[in-house]
Amino acid sequence: MTHTTDNAWQHPEVQLAGGGYVVAYVVGLALMGLALWLVRGHVGSPLDLGIAMAAIAAVAAIVQCVLLLHMNISETQIWHTVALVLFIPLFILALGLSSWMFHGLYRRTMMMTVPHAAAAPTQAAKTGG
Amino acid sequence: MSAATTETLDAKRNPMWSSGYGHDAIATKTLGFWLYMLSDAMMFTALFVAYTVLGHTFNAAGGPWATAVAHPGTAFKETVWLFSSVLAYGFAMIALKKGSRSGVMLGIAAALVIALGFLAVDAHEVMTLFRMGATPERSGFLSAFFTLVFYHGLHVVVGIAWMLVMLVQVAAAGLTEKVVYRLLNLRLFWHFQAVMWVFMFTFLYLRGAIV
Repeated sequence: MTHTTDNAWQHPEVQLAGGGYVVAYVVGLALMGLALWLVRGHVGSPLDLGIAMAAIAAVAAIVQCVLLLHMNISETQIWHTVALVLFIPLFILALGLSSWMFHGLYRRTMMMTVPHAAAAPTQAAKTGG
Repeated sequence: MSAATTETLDAKRNPMWSSGYGHDAIATKTLGFWLYMLSDAMMFTALFVAYTVLGHTFNAAGGPWATAVAHPGTAFKETVWLFSSVLAYGFAMIALKKGSRSGVMLGIAAALVIALGFLAVDAHEVMTLFRMGATPERSGFLSAFFTLVFYHGLHVVVGIAWMLVMLVQVAAAGLTEKVVYRLLNLRLFWHFQAVMWVFMFTFLYLRGAIV
């Protein structure tokens, strides 16, 4: 390649840097702030809040992957993007299948008299502080 | 390996391997490091799985539950610190784009100082939890909770140490090819922490407040 020690900083991956970092910062903070506001205000049921939070997290993660990590299909970045996209099913399978296994385990082996969500606040109030 | 094969595979002698489609010395190293970062993401996945499957009050063993140990307000302060550090490192990379050695050092130094701010808030939060009796050994739920917190904190410590090393290398060697690929790898590492923090903030701290 044409790089010498004098112009290594002209490499295409260095030249990817730019104003997108500021956009990622502002959008990231705004989305996390929105999620915090939703949770603080208890807007909706725990299930609705959980879904909204997960959706906001997904949008924030995608924005950061594109703007901070420069995930795109350009010649320079295509294999970085492919590796990340192929990672996503591993992430979903690991999390989803484990949750499914333990959900079944808890349902069959433990004396559950109350649903998952309802037990939490009283338990914390009694022993938390 | 025969001498002929060795010669064919030698990037310096055979331009076929060293040019084209962007897979030069720097690009090869950043791709390799990115694959390592994805295996680190798999570590985070495993820890999130452990936290998720232990996310039942039964696993709190009568001790503090998520609502008592997850403080979304404090976590949002940490979000501001960490994202700001990531932005500062971004400015270092924009300076690198122009070949500005002093700009790179200034950006990294800022990112480093702000990262220390994150660590201070993180450490204070952990000490507060310890004082109220929420320690990792208290319950399976808290073991999973603190493992994630410490694993993430360890990344920030490693990032800070790496920034110190790069400050020295940029000052001593300048923007050579080796220094540039290390700066690119540190960018991948540090900016990846922002993505991981989105999941930490959402599923550790925010979710803890509503379960």
